[in-house]
Amino acid sequence: MITLTHYLVLSVILFSIGLVGVMRRKNLLMLFFSTEILLNSVNIGFVAVSHYYGDLSGQLFAFFIIAVAASEIAVGLGLLVLWYKKTGSINLDSLQMMKG
Amino acid sequence: MDYILSLIIFFPLVAGILGFLVSQNSIRIYGISVAFIEFMLTIILWIGFNGNTDGFQFVEHVTVISHFGMNYHLGVDGISLFLVILSTFMTMIALIGLNIKKDVKNLIISVLLLEMTMVGVFLSLDVILFYLFWEFSLIPMLYIIGAWGSDKRIYAAIKFFLYTFAGSILMLVGILYMGYLYHATAGVWSFSIPDWQLLILPFNTQLWLFGAFFLAFAIKVPMFPFHTWLPYAHGQAPTIGSVILASVLLKMGTYGMVRFLLPLFPDATIYFVIPIAIIAVIMVIYAAMIAYAQEDMKQVIAYSSISHMGIIILGIFAINAEGVTGSIFFMISHGIVSGALFMLVGCIYDRRHTKKISEFGGLAISMPTFATIYGVMLMASVGLPLTIGFVGEFLSLIGFYKVSWILTLLAGTGIILGAIYMLSLYKRSFFGEITNEKNRNLKDLNGRELAALIPLVVLVLVLGIYPKPLLEPIDFSVKKMIVLMEKKAVTQEAKEFIVKVNSIEGGL
Amino acid sequence: MEQYLYIALFAPLVGSLVAALFAQSSKNIFTGIFTSTLIFISFVSSIILLYYVNANTIVNVEMMDWISAGNLSISFGFVVDQVSVIMMVTVTLVSTVVHVYSIGYMEHDESFNRFFSYLSAFVFSMMILVMSDNFLGLFIGWEGVGLCSWLLIGFWYKKTSASWAANEAFIMNRIADLGMLMGIFLIYWNIGSLQYDIVFASIVNLDIKIVSWIGIFLFIGAMGKSAQFPLHTWLADAMEGPTPVSALIHAATMVTAGVYLIVRAGEIYTLIPNVGMFIASLGAFVAVFAASMALVNRDLKRIIAYSTLSQLGYMFVAAGLGAYWIALFHLMTHAFFKSLLFLGAGNVMHAMNNELDIKKMGGLYKAMRPTAILMGIASVALAGIYPLAGFFSKDKILEVAFNDGSYILWAALFVGAGLTAFYSFRLIMLVFFGDKVHEKFGIVPHEAKPFVIYALTPLALLAIVAGFFEHSFYEFTTQLLADYKFTLDHSVVINLIFATSAIALSGIIFAVYKYIRGGFSEKIENWRIYKLLLNQYYIPKLYEVCIIKPFATLSRFAWLNIDNKIVDASVDMIAKTICSSGEKAREMQSGNLSSMLRWMVVGIIVLLVLAIFYRPMV
Repeated sequence: MITLTHYLVLSVILFSIGLVGVMRRKNLLMLFFSTEILLNSVNIGFVAVSHYYGDLSGQLFAFFIIAVAASEIAVGLGLLVLWYKKTGSINLDSLQMMKG
Repeated sequence: MDYILSLIIFFPLVAGILGFLVSQNSIRIYGISVAFIEFMLTIILWIGFNGNTDGFQFVEHVTVISHFGMNYHLGVDGISLFLVILSTFMTMIALIGLNIKKDVKNLIISVLLLEMTMVGVFLSLDVILFYLFWEFSLIPMLYIIGAWGSDKRIYAAIKFFLYTFAGSILMLVGILYMGYLYHATAGVWSFSIPDWQLLILPFNTQLWLFGAFFLAFAIKVPMFPFHTWLPYAHGQAPTIGSVILASVLLKMGTYGMVRFLLPLFPDATIYFVIPIAIIAVIMVIYAAMIAYAQEDMKQVIAYSSISHMGIIILGIFAINAEGVTGSIFFMISHGIVSGALFMLVGCIYDRRHTKKISEFGGLAISMPTFATIYGVMLMASVGLPLTIGFVGEFLSLIGFYKVSWILTLLAGTGIILGAIYMLSLYKRSFFGEITNEKNRNLKDLNGRELAALIPLVVLVLVLGIYPKPLLEPIDFSVKKMIVLMEKKAVTQEAKEFIVKVNSIEGGL
Repeated sequence: MEQYLYIALFAPLVGSLVAALFAQSSKNIFTGIFTSTLIFISFVSSIILLYYVNANTIVNVEMMDWISAGNLSISFGFVVDQVSVIMMVTVTLVSTVVHVYSIGYMEHDESFNRFFSYLSAFVFSMMILVMSDNFLGLFIGWEGVGLCSWLLIGFWYKKTSASWAANEAFIMNRIADLGMLMGIFLIYWNIGSLQYDIVFASIVNLDIKIVSWIGIFLFIGAMGKSAQFPLHTWLADAMEGPTPVSALIHAATMVTAGVYLIVRAGEIYTLIPNVGMFIASLGAFVAVFAASMALVNRDLKRIIAYSTLSQLGYMFVAAGLGAYWIALFHLMTHAFFKSLLFLGAGNVMHAMNNELDIKKMGGLYKAMRPTAILMGIASVALAGIYPLAGFFSKDKILEVAFNDGSYILWAALFVGAGLTAFYSFRLIMLVFFGDKVHEKFGIVPHEAKPFVIYALTPLALLAIVAGFFEHSFYEFTTQLLADYKFTLDHSVVINLIFATSAIALSGIIFAVYKYIRGGFSEKIENWRIYKLLLNQYYIPKLYEVCIIKPFATLSRFAWLNIDNKIVDASVDMIAKTICSSGEKAREMQSGNLSSMLRWMVVGIIVLLVLAIFYRPMV
C-alpha cells in the first residue's frame, strides 16, 4: 500500500537532490535542471496532500507551478543562449559582474 | 523682544549661508561682525531677562507636528542664559583670534553653523528640537577637526563623531520612551521639557531612563572612562576648534545633566549620587595625573579640562543650591579659562609650529606679555581666589561636602594636583634660561591676539571679584529646580536626601 | 575711621598696580619710591587705627558682596580690632623698611619695577589676610600671599633652582590649603556663616567632635603657611628668592599667618585643649628640630630660615596652650628682629658678591661695622637676652609651658633656647670675626649705602625696646583675646627667667669661645649626626624618593599604560571589531551565484529552524 508518507518521502528526496544540485553544480544549464527538480518535488507534495484531503486547490496549484516553471525556463534558456553566445561559457564562476 | 530667541538661533545660520557670497579677503571681518552682533543680541537678552521670575522666559511656541506633540519651542532661564552668552562670546573671541589662511571662508561658515547649534541646544525646550541641535553640532565640528587639523586629524575627527554619536543614539531611545510614557500617562503626546518636568515616574522606570540619558551626557562631558576621544580631538583640532570644543561643547553634557537628569529623574539621580561621585573623583585625580605626565602643552590643558569637569559633575550631584549653582558658574568660568589657555597654546604654536614642552623653556624672557597672560590664566585654572576659577570650584566643593566629606577631600586633591601639573608646565616652558635658540627671537603677542585675550583676562578678574550678576539668576533658577525635585521625588529616601543636603545643621 | 581702613588696605594695591605698569620697562627709581611711600601711608593709617581702636572701638566695614549661592553669603568685610591692628602695624612697618631697603638692594636688577609690583601686591594680600572679618576673606589673603610668595621666590626665574623652589612652596601650601578649605566647609555646614563673630558666637553649641575636626583642619592650613613639620621643607628652599623677600615674607609676615590664624580662631581652640596640646607639642618639636638643623648649616640664609622655623614653633607652643596674646607678642617682636637679621644678611651677601657660605666669609666686622652691629642686636634679641625684645616674649612662652605643667615641652623649648643662642652667634662669629677667608676668593667687601642702613634703624630700635611694651600690649590685646592665667609663684618665675637666660648666655659664650679659637675641628663633619643634620634629616631626599618620583612614574604609567593601553584601546577595539567583522562579512557578497545560492540555503534552514522552535505567538 502506497500511503501519503511514501509520496512525501519521495518529495523530500527529490527536493534534497534538487537542493544539492543547486548548491554544487557550476553549469548554468544543470542549475536549471536542479530548479526544475525542486519545483517538481514540491508539485508531488502538493498533489499528494491534495488527494489525501480531497481538496482540489493543491492540484490546481501544481498546475500553476508547472506553468510558472515553463515560462521561467523559456525566458531563462533564452538568456542562457544569449550569454553563451556572448561569452562562450555558461560556468557560474564566470558570472561575477556584481562582486561587491 | 518676542522673537529674540529665534533671532539668536537663526541669525548665525542665515549669516553663515550668506557668507558664501562674501569674498575671501573680507570674510574674517564679516565673521567677526556677525559674531559680535550675535553676542550683542545675547547681551540684549540678558538685559531683558528678569531674574526674579519663575519658569522660562521669552518662550516661543510654534506647533509643528501637533499629532505627536513635537513643536518648535524655545525659552531661557537662569541655568541656560549664561551658557548662551558664553557660547556667543567665546565664538566671537575665537574668531578674533583666528589665524588660519587656508579655506578660511569655509572655516568661518562652519564656525557660524556651530554657533547656531550650540545656542540651539541651550535654548530648546522641545526635546526633539534639542536632540536635533545636539546631533547637528557634531557636523561642523567634524569638519573643523577633519579639514583644518594636524596630521592625524581624520582619525581624531571620526573618533570624536562616532563616539559622541553612539552615546546620543541611546538618548534618542530614551527620549522616545519618555514621550511614550508621557502619552500613556497624560493621554496626549508631548516632548516639551516643562511638560515632562511635571511627569512623575516610578522608580524603576527612572533608573532605565536615567541610564540612557546619562550615557549620552557622560560621553559628551567626557567622563572617565569615556574620555579618550577628547585628547585626540584637542590634539588634532586647530586652535579655534579646541577653544570652542573646550569652552562650549563640553558644557552641553553638563548642561544636559542639570536640565534633564535632575528634574526629570530625581529619585534615580539621588540613587546614583555616590557611584557617579566616585567616577567624578577618579576623573579629577586620574586626569590630573595624566596631565602631569604629558609632553605636549595642549594635551596638558586637554586633560586638565577633564579634571575640572569632574568637579563640575560633583557640584551637580550635590543636589543643593550651593553645589549646582557653583557647578553652573564653574561651567562658565572653565569655558573662559580653558578657552583662553587653548588660545595661548595656539599663539605659541603659530610661532614655533610645535607644542612640545621640551622645545620651550625661558619663554618669559622673550615673550613677557605672553607669559603674564598665561600666568593669569594659569592662576585662574588652579582656582586662586579673586579669579573666576575659584568661585565655581569653591561652591561645587562646598556643596558636595554636605553629601560626603571624604569624597570632597579626595576631589579637593584636584586643587593640589592642578597646581602641580600647571606650575610644572609653566616652569618648564616659561622659566629658566633660553635653551633652544629658536625661542630667542620670538615676537611677543600681536594686536590681534591681544584683542582676543585681553577681554578674557578682564572677565577672569572682574567675575572673580564680583560674580554676583551671574550667580543671582542662576541661584534663583536652581533653587526652583530643587524645590521641584523634592516635590516630584517618589521615594522617601530621595525626599529626605534633598532636605538634608539643603539644610545647615550639624554633622561632619 | 573707615577711610583710614581703606587707605591702609588699598594703598599697597595702588602701588602694586602702578609699578606693574612699568613692569616691562627698564629700571625706574620712581616705582621704588612710589610704592615705598604708599606702604608708608598704609603704615601711618594703621597707626591711626591702632590709636582709634585703643581709644574707642573696633572698626568693621562691609565693602561689597562677593559670593552668594544657596544659604551661603559672603562679602568683602573688613574688621580692625585689637588683633588685626597689631598685625597691620607689624606688617606695614616691616614692609616699609623692606621696601626702602630694596631700593638699595635691587638697584642693579633689571627687573627692579617688577620686583616692587610683586612686593606691594604681597603687602596687599597680607593686609586682606589679617583684616578680613570672615574665613573666606582670610582665605583670599591666604592664597594671595601664596601667589606673591611664588612670584617672589621665583623672581629670578632664569635660575632653575629658584623656579623649582617657588613651585615647591606653592604646592606645599596648596596641600595645607586643602585642609583649610575642609575646615571652612565644615564651619559653613554647621553654622551657616563664615563671619568670625557669628562663628565664634555659635561654636560653643556644636558637638565637641565637630569642633575638634574644625580645629584640626584649620591647623593643617596653618601648618602649610607656617611651614610646620612635615610641610617645612619649602621654607629653607624659599631662600632662593631675593633677600628682602626672605625678610618680609619668609620671616616677618607670611609664615606667621598660621600663628595669626590660630590666635584669631582662639575661641575655637579654647574649646578643644587636646588639639591645642597637639599644636603645642608639634610646635615644641619643630622648635628643637629646626634649631638642630641650623647648628651645622653653612648657608647664611638657610641658617636664619631654620631659626625662623624654630621661632614659629615657639609661637605655636604659646598659641596651642591658649596663651594667644603671648603668641601674638612673640610674633611681633620676632618680626622686628628676624627681618633685621635677614636684611643684615642681605648686606653681607651683597658685600660678598652673593656668596652664601659662611665658612667663606669671616672678619667682615672691619669693613661692615654698622651691619655687624645691627645683626648683633638682632642676634642678641633672638637669643633672648635682657633687655632686648626677644627676652620678654620668648621667656613668657617658656613660662607658659611650665605653668601648663607640660614640663616636656618646657624642656624642649629650654634646649631650643640654648641652641638658638649658639647658632646665632656661630653665624655672627663666622661672618664678622675670625680669619678673612673671603680674601682667598678675591672678594673685596663693602658696606651698603647709608640710606639702607638708616632704613634698618627703626627695626633695630624696636628689637631693643619692643619688650618694654609688654604690659600695654597685654592690656590692649586681651580686650579681645582670652586672657592667660599664670598660677606660678613669683619665685618660680624668677628662677625660670634665670635658668633661661643662663642657657642662652652659655650658648652665646660657648659659640664665642669656640669660634674665637678657630671653631670645631674638621673631624665632626664625619660624625653621623652632623651628616644627618646637614642633610636636614634626609627629609627632602625622602620626599623626593617617596613622593615626587613615584608620582611622576605613576602618572606616566597611568597615561601610557592605563589610558592608552586599556581605556583607549578598549574603545578602539570595539571599533576595530565592528570594522573587521564587516571586512569578513564582505566576502559573502562575492557576486558568485553559486555561493549566494548556498547562503540562501543556509538562510532557509535558519528560518525553518526558527519557525519550528521559536513560536512566541502560540
